[in-house]
Amino acid sequence: MTNPVTQDRRHFEDLSVGEIITLGHATVTREMIFAFAREFDPLPFHLDEAAAKASLLGGLASSGWQTGALSLRMLVDSFLSKIASCGGLGFENLKWKNPVMAGDTIGGTVTIAALRRSGSHPRWGIVTLDFDIRNQKDKQVLTMRLANLVECREVAA
Amino acid sequence: MTRWFEDIVIDEVFPLGAHTFGKEEIIRFAQLYDPQYFHTDPGLARHSHFGGLVASGWHTVSVGHRKMVDALDAEAGRLRAAGQEPGVSGPSPGVNAMEFKVPVRPGDTVTYELAVTDKRPSNSLPGWGLLFNRLTATNQRGELVYRAEIVGFSKLRDFRMPLKLKLLLALTNLPLIGPLVRRKA
Repeated sequence: MTNPVTQDRRHFEDLSVGEIITLGHATVTREMIFAFAREFDPLPFHLDEAAAKASLLGGLASSGWQTGALSLRMLVDSFLSKIASCGGLGFENLKWKNPVMAGDTIGGTVTIAALRRSGSHPRWGIVTLDFDIRNQKDKQVLTMRLANLVECREVAA
Repeated sequence: MTRWFEDIVIDEVFPLGAHTFGKEEIIRFAQLYDPQYFHTDPGLARHSHFGGLVASGWHTVSVGHRKMVDALDAEAGRLRAAGQEPGVSGPSPGVNAMEFKVPVRPGDTVTYELAVTDKRPSNSLPGWGLLFNRLTATNQRGELVYRAEIVGFSKLRDFRMPLKLKLLLALTNLPLIGPLVRRKA
């Protein structure tokens, strides 16, 4: 049974280890930081500029979870919406290397680190992706390794 | 944690409360941060192996973070009301592991719990300790939605600064020697 949404997209067999996906960019505005923080991370230094100036970071910075969400968004736009993705399995070794300040523009690359067939599902493969997210000064802000499911064209024997 | 490093009991479960995920908020989050068809379009999502719309894992995790912020804030309020000084937590350096188990569908209620599975004084930040937090999210059927191992910093209450560090700090505050010491450090 083919999935009409994903049938023309790249499948597991079309991916190769070492492939580098160049992400687009996202500029993180004050308004974006406030909106995310109000809903998910309502700490004074994400919600208020004066409190942010007085904090360890010395200015308004995005929630680390927002930096991760924006990194994911860039991967969806450049890669996950173009392959037969069927959802994330999780991630490991997420590191918030440097804060993302209001006005910063982030981008970077994601590299296919590994590809393997699912042990439990004959139509699925697992793609392992290494994130290297940087700001406009080429300073690393986030790294992580994400595991995502992708449909296979051929059913495993 | 709103407790001081020394007072944190390993494996003590700290309930963070629950959240019911509505269809609109699932779609709104996904349109901003994870616009894959099974997170944004209920019609197309029927073709996916999920068989319908599911929340982005990053959405359920972000809500889990909100639940933790609120619960710790409430705990700090309770401690202050009881005349105690709450502990101080620092920024998180990262997440060691995050496993998504079963998807969250519109109408599902997810209950979050936190426990500290291990702790040790920090090598890099004197006066602070490292906490290894385990956050679990469970749906209304008792199925595990996700499990996370999140690292955090917590301030030591009983920290006595070593004499060497005290002297160094005192020197950095002197007008003439200070800049030299600071440059060396």
